[in-house]
Amino acid sequence: MRNRLGIALVSAATTLTVLLTPLCPAGAQTTTSEIPRAWDGRPDLNGIWQAIGTAHWNIQDHPASAGHPDMGAIGAVPPGQGVVVGNDIPYQPWALQQRQANFENWLTNDPELKCYMPGVPRATYLPYPFQIVQGDRKIMMVYGFAESNRTIHMDKDAPEPAPIDSWMGRSHGRWDGDALVVDVAGFNGEAWFDRAGNFASNTLRVEERYTPIGPNAIMYEATIEDPNVFTGPWTISMPLYRRLEEHVRIIEFKCVQFTEDLLYGHLRREPTR
Amino acid sequence: MKWKLVARPLLVVITVASTPGAATAADYHHVHITASSPSEAVNWYTEYMDCQPISDRRDVADCDGVEFVFVVQPTMGSTQGTGVNHISFSFPDLPTKMAALESVGVRGSGVRLQRFPDGSTLRDVPGLFKIGFIFDPWGTRIELVEDKADLGFHHVHLSATDPEATLAWYRDTMGGEPASLKGTLNGLRFGDIWLLASEHPGGTPATTGGRAIDHIAFAVTDLNAAAAVMRQQGVVFQEEPKVPENARTAAQRAFVAGPDNVRVAIVESGFAGITIERPANAVTTDTAPYNVPLTPWGEPDLQGVWTGNSSHGIPLERPENLSDVENLTPEEAEARRERGTLGSIWGYEREWRDTTLGYVKTAPSTQVAMIIDPPDGRIPPRTAPGEKLAAMVREEQARTADRPAGGPEDLSSWVRCITRGLPRMMMPGVYNNGLQIAQGPGFVTIQKEMIHETRIIPTTERQRLGSSITTWLGDPQGRWDGDSLIIESTNFNGGAPFQGSSENMRLTERYTRVGETRLEYRFTIDDQTIWTRPWTGVFHFDLDDEQYELVEYACHEGNYGMTNILSGARARDAAEVASP
Repeated sequence: MRNRLGIALVSAATTLTVLLTPLCPAGAQTTTSEIPRAWDGRPDLNGIWQAIGTAHWNIQDHPASAGHPDMGAIGAVPPGQGVVVGNDIPYQPWALQQRQANFENWLTNDPELKCYMPGVPRATYLPYPFQIVQGDRKIMMVYGFAESNRTIHMDKDAPEPAPIDSWMGRSHGRWDGDALVVDVAGFNGEAWFDRAGNFASNTLRVEERYTPIGPNAIMYEATIEDPNVFTGPWTISMPLYRRLEEHVRIIEFKCVQFTEDLLYGHLRREPTR
Repeated sequence: MKWKLVARPLLVVITVASTPGAATAADYHHVHITASSPSEAVNWYTEYMDCQPISDRRDVADCDGVEFVFVVQPTMGSTQGTGVNHISFSFPDLPTKMAALESVGVRGSGVRLQRFPDGSTLRDVPGLFKIGFIFDPWGTRIELVEDKADLGFHHVHLSATDPEATLAWYRDTMGGEPASLKGTLNGLRFGDIWLLASEHPGGTPATTGGRAIDHIAFAVTDLNAAAAVMRQQGVVFQEEPKVPENARTAAQRAFVAGPDNVRVAIVESGFAGITIERPANAVTTDTAPYNVPLTPWGEPDLQGVWTGNSSHGIPLERPENLSDVENLTPEEAEARRERGTLGSIWGYEREWRDTTLGYVKTAPSTQVAMIIDPPDGRIPPRTAPGEKLAAMVREEQARTADRPAGGPEDLSSWVRCITRGLPRMMMPGVYNNGLQIAQGPGFVTIQKEMIHETRIIPTTERQRLGSSITTWLGDPQGRWDGDSLIIESTNFNGGAPFQGSSENMRLTERYTRVGETRLEYRFTIDDQTIWTRPWTGVFHFDLDDEQYELVEYACHEGNYGMTNILSGARARDAAEVASP
């Protein structure tokens, strides 16, 4: 083994005692000692995580409702409690109408249906696991769905403008105590928040907070601002759970091929749509 | 050189006699064209425009006594929109010439025809002659005319805010002789070559500097004397007369601002261009062992943004005619890259391509081929079942070659924006060659910009996926072997075969940081179903951490190509039914 590993371990141990600042959300019954620590004493978020719940259907409170008739109970939308703090989203009047139109045309217009990248924060609570690979300069978040991924730049002094607008935005991270705070901007405005048509525009800004609340859970909070769509900022909050299966992993889910009928079926030699 | 032999004394007499106001008697000297490979450009103008190569100047073609100088530099685009609308060549039988050029097509160092709105390539202009337009591969618009009185290099056509004023400027400063082309079009003559000007459609023309035609140049006998007169005329000098650095002769050159943002050079007789120094070759010859840095948690640090641009153009297999060659010369490597560039330039403008010579910072690799094992650089023989499978694929391809795609499945997984597969996805293409490696303890993420695929590689042993779980990119297992990252992948679904590989392929990749800015990538393909032995290839990535950032390559999300290909295919189907 290399000596530098030994030195790194020693220095990690030293930093650990210095950096341990208790910062837990109210009500979370945990102590900082239960939080796994990285080589630099920061919380170690490495692992495979997944949200549990119905936020991917609708981030707001919603009753059970019918889905595609051919899919019976499997396609039905299960009821669920929302993840929006206070439940209300402060839409501007035009945007509320747009959201309603999105809702009614969900099965035609939802980008998820077409295997388009989910954007932020939707990627976090799709019903699939994602992996965090936390290093020294970048933190990678890799989602199985639609090959989407994010590079969280941890090595920039200040957020830099995005080189181009994109589905997943440009992410800059910093540590606020034990919380990883990620500022995301530079969106293209195409992504939705859920299957209920909640949406934003390309002036969206998301500030995410990933706060470990124990060895196997992270409290995820995202504050959402978009002056062209909302009258003020609003926040979603939900835990992310570590997938504990011994050999669990993110399995490539290239969904493009499953959308080709939907998108191009009418252009086949023998049309399927 | 030939241009010296043009009947210039006669011209001077005519010029002075007809335009007494002009103090300078100049003649066309050269047209400065941006090309990504001068030797290819000389070949092109020789082959298609009947210019002549000049034996001791590999960057110049002689077109009717005017030098066409080809210079490698990043271009800002074609000639369109600049103050030089086009240049022109005259041929005795234009319909035959145009048909010949059309048959060349746009593949390789081809010819792009600019059709008229009705789809034709030729038009007979009343009072003048037949004309047609083409582009050279580097973005210069060329008008072909049938002016039997003036064959060869025919004219430079300016695009001017005020054509009359522009022509007056060239008459007064350069001594062009006012004349009328066929009694129809007013212009100037420099020797037997015309300078014409038409009104620029809308606003001020863009500057020629940095575009496909960077500037046009005129020659004078005494530059200092000519410059003195021009200064009195109010001509603005962008560069004072001087012998340029690395000039081949002691003749001086100056740059002045022509009207309509056209850069104009004036050179002294005998000027023969400058010698371009070749940039240092990027191939590392330093054999000192490199100590790979470690991450803070003690693993070899391969992190950063790398590009495969320098390796673009290396063929997979060793060409038969290079069996004894260890490395290409830098000139050969540049020529190979240029051929590759031209092979796809018609679908994508040069400006779109990351690997165009003159754009990319790294020199093209001189490696002869990727395959290093077997030592002959060729893919080893197939097994009997492998041969049978390959024959079936060939038959199927022959059967469907001309048949329009029936649906997305008839197109490659790359066109479908699914994946390029492995190891293809690691290989350099014409653009978006970024490779971002980020690490955490026990994991390496390898993100390829093209189709934004991210591979998560565990570097500690984990249970392999069950054999029923197959994927496009397989199931990777990584480990550190000294400073090298080894990745073994199995469980391929066979959907994106490489050179006919099967789902039984076992791919072993080896990433070794051989220098601060150099990452060696080796891949070994072991597919006993298809080949009689494993085979190995190698190429390099270069670190480009300061400038390069991967952008989100939203391939599927913007796959208008798929819609267009299939719409076109259905239109072809319909046309076939209509006229069987």
